[in-house]
Amino acid sequence: MKKQNMFFRMITASLLRRRSRMVVALLAIMVGATILSGLVTIYYDVPRQMGEQFRNYGANMIFVPSGSAEGIKSTDVDSALTYIDKDNIVGVAPYRYETVMVNERPVIAAGTDLDGANATSPYWYVTGQWPQENGQLLIGKDIAELYGVGEGDTMSVTYVPASDTETSDENTKEKGTTVEFTVSGTLDTGGSEENYIFMSISDIEKLTGEKKSYDMVELSISAGHDELESYVDKISGDVPSVSARLVKRVTQSETTVLSKLQALVLLVTVVVLLLTMICVATTMTAVVTERRKEIGLRKALGASNKSIIREFMGEGMMLGGVGGFLGSFLGFLFAQLVSMNVFNSSITFQPLLIPVTLVASVGVTALACLLPVRSATEVDPALVLKGE
Amino acid sequence: MFFRMLRGAMFRQKGKMLMIAFTILLGASLATAMLNVMMDVGDKVNQELKTYGANITVVPKESSIISELYDVEDSDSTQSAHLLESELGNIKTIFWAFNIVDFTPFIDTKVTLSNGEETKLVGTWFNHHLELPTGETLDTGIANLRTWWDVSQGGWIDEQKNGFDKSAMIGSALAKKENIKVGDAIEVKTKNSKETLIVTGIYDAGGDEDDYIYTSLAPAQRLANCEGLLSSIEVSALTTPDNELARKAAKNPEALSVSQYETWYCTAYVSSICYQIQEVITDSVASPVRQVAESEGSIMEKTELLMILITIFSLIGAALGISNLVTASVMERSNEIGLMKAIGAKDGSILGVVLTEIMITAVIGGVAGYFAGYGFAQIIGWSVFGSAIDMKPMVIPIVAVAIIAVTLAGSIPAIRMLLRLRPAEVLHGR
Repeated sequence: MKKQNMFFRMITASLLRRRSRMVVALLAIMVGATILSGLVTIYYDVPRQMGEQFRNYGANMIFVPSGSAEGIKSTDVDSALTYIDKDNIVGVAPYRYETVMVNERPVIAAGTDLDGANATSPYWYVTGQWPQENGQLLIGKDIAELYGVGEGDTMSVTYVPASDTETSDENTKEKGTTVEFTVSGTLDTGGSEENYIFMSISDIEKLTGEKKSYDMVELSISAGHDELESYVDKISGDVPSVSARLVKRVTQSETTVLSKLQALVLLVTVVVLLLTMICVATTMTAVVTERRKEIGLRKALGASNKSIIREFMGEGMMLGGVGGFLGSFLGFLFAQLVSMNVFNSSITFQPLLIPVTLVASVGVTALACLLPVRSATEVDPALVLKGE
Repeated sequence: MFFRMLRGAMFRQKGKMLMIAFTILLGASLATAMLNVMMDVGDKVNQELKTYGANITVVPKESSIISELYDVEDSDSTQSAHLLESELGNIKTIFWAFNIVDFTPFIDTKVTLSNGEETKLVGTWFNHHLELPTGETLDTGIANLRTWWDVSQGGWIDEQKNGFDKSAMIGSALAKKENIKVGDAIEVKTKNSKETLIVTGIYDAGGDEDDYIYTSLAPAQRLANCEGLLSSIEVSALTTPDNELARKAAKNPEALSVSQYETWYCTAYVSSICYQIQEVITDSVASPVRQVAESEGSIMEKTELLMILITIFSLIGAALGISNLVTASVMERSNEIGLMKAIGAKDGSILGVVLTEIMITAVIGGVAGYFAGYGFAQIIGWSVFGSAIDMKPMVIPIVAVAIIAVTLAGSIPAIRMLLRLRPAEVLHGR
């Protein structure tokens, strides 16, 4: 008990007495620990955050009616969605396509959940406003050019039921239903969407006068390729009317690019950590080497090699512990700063990293102390005390 | 005397000086590697993102409005507008030709199979070898632009082999429906002509393309009765993420002032590359594929920002590490400095000797560190991207200035503190 008390008193006294040098050592350890915990936190969080960025490429899974089914009922969509982890769903957009007439020309109208479409296809570039309420239309760029309409204009859309066109040719006065819409914006995608007009589901139901099932559903899910494949298998197997498919272009490419990015961050982390750890070790070595005289004096006073090594190691480990503890928090702050700046979202705290950082910094400092203390204790005290 | 002292110090304390040099080496190599990787990461990620396929499509001016309405109107294909195949090479002559990675022409037409079933046939390049007027060569085609295609049976059509223009690749859905296997001959006809094609591969594209037939350009043009004509071109270009100027220009390039126009035209924005393609292909409309172009920009920005922050962070770490060690090593020389003062050395000359010593060490460490950093950067480049990292000469002065500044910052305060001590006290010990 008493012996241990003495041990701690010697360590703390030695640390306090040599304040400036210990500050130097502590700073070195802290910087190392900060880099360790910061980079590792970033490394763990990058795939998740980057994965979210990759959702910009749009839907990575679609539901289509399976074989015999006419369409997908909204209840089937709901039951299919229960197989997917709710937190991973970025957006769901069901689509129902109808051919409608605008100025006597056929145009494809898509009825969709407009908020869902916004979430699944963030790359849609809208001039004007995204439709906020019923009665508003989002029209493709080509349609806008063709009809010379733009934001704020009205567009009358006529729906002629398919059966009417064949049977009631003579009944030309009955030309289906016409609904006036306000164009809220034009859509620029560089794809076939530029030839469509988009409206909400309830609008297309009002226009066609019937509630029909969806032709297809687009989903954007933040998950890896394997996870997505397991969803596809489960849904296609368990929900009879829905056949889920992966959008290969998006999923395949995401896997390739994301794995490269992760490898990049990993390699950078390893290189930086390696160099930082060596840096910490050299600083600690310098701090200890400087105390050869002290070691010589203690030896001359009769201290055993073992007790000297123990004391120096205790000192080093205490520094390592304090530095590692401070560093693990600073590292989290740094990772948070990076995450806020790059991804605009906060980072998840990895509690496991605190012990890891502590162990690593204590280990590195202990190792860095051990070597010079060892070589110092092997020297004849008389030589050391004399100098050189 | 100065040099003797210097030499003495350097050799007498070999171990200590080596350690300082080593730490500076580590710091310099870290800085070199990180700065180079950071500056090159944009280009590298951009290359990787090319797996998402083309980011620009070029279509004839007239058809850009009604192309999708073909299904409904079924117009005669010779009547509608087309691009000229002879102008394809022009794409590699634009200002940003160097940024054009791949481009592939397409001609599509409706064909009837022998059993009366209708389907879409697309003529294109697979791995076309192109000799450019500039003397360069380029291998391009959909093998590069459809990397996500899973060719489950057979293989890609090889345009370097004889008889490639009698081959076809068909989509998995069509193969299943019509029960076609690799090696089968399929007969396709339009009202213009008839072709017999050998199926060399069946692909799974995970989209509408699974119902199509892909073949080379010549037979498809004969079928469509459009010799020398194309219906669209897909271009994959390395681009700079859009900013305000690019968005403004995309709407109407004429609205820009002269200097803005110059900046825009000479920056690899997707809109300026589109504009330049339109200049060299008659009656064409080049438009960015938003799905690819927009996402590319945001992912590149994020990756670059991430690397910049990690770089800054590790540089601060390295700087602290070096100046820390330098401070520690100067402080331990209090005895020596005390002795020098005691025998009458001036503060200035002591400062000179110690600083020169450390600077020589720093230069040696820094030079060695640059080469070590070169190695680290290449290791990262090859193992992550499979290609060398472009070493920017600009990094050398940055690292040099940083190393000198950090070493000075680490040593000067310590030396000045030691100079303030009284020699007698120092020599006596404490």
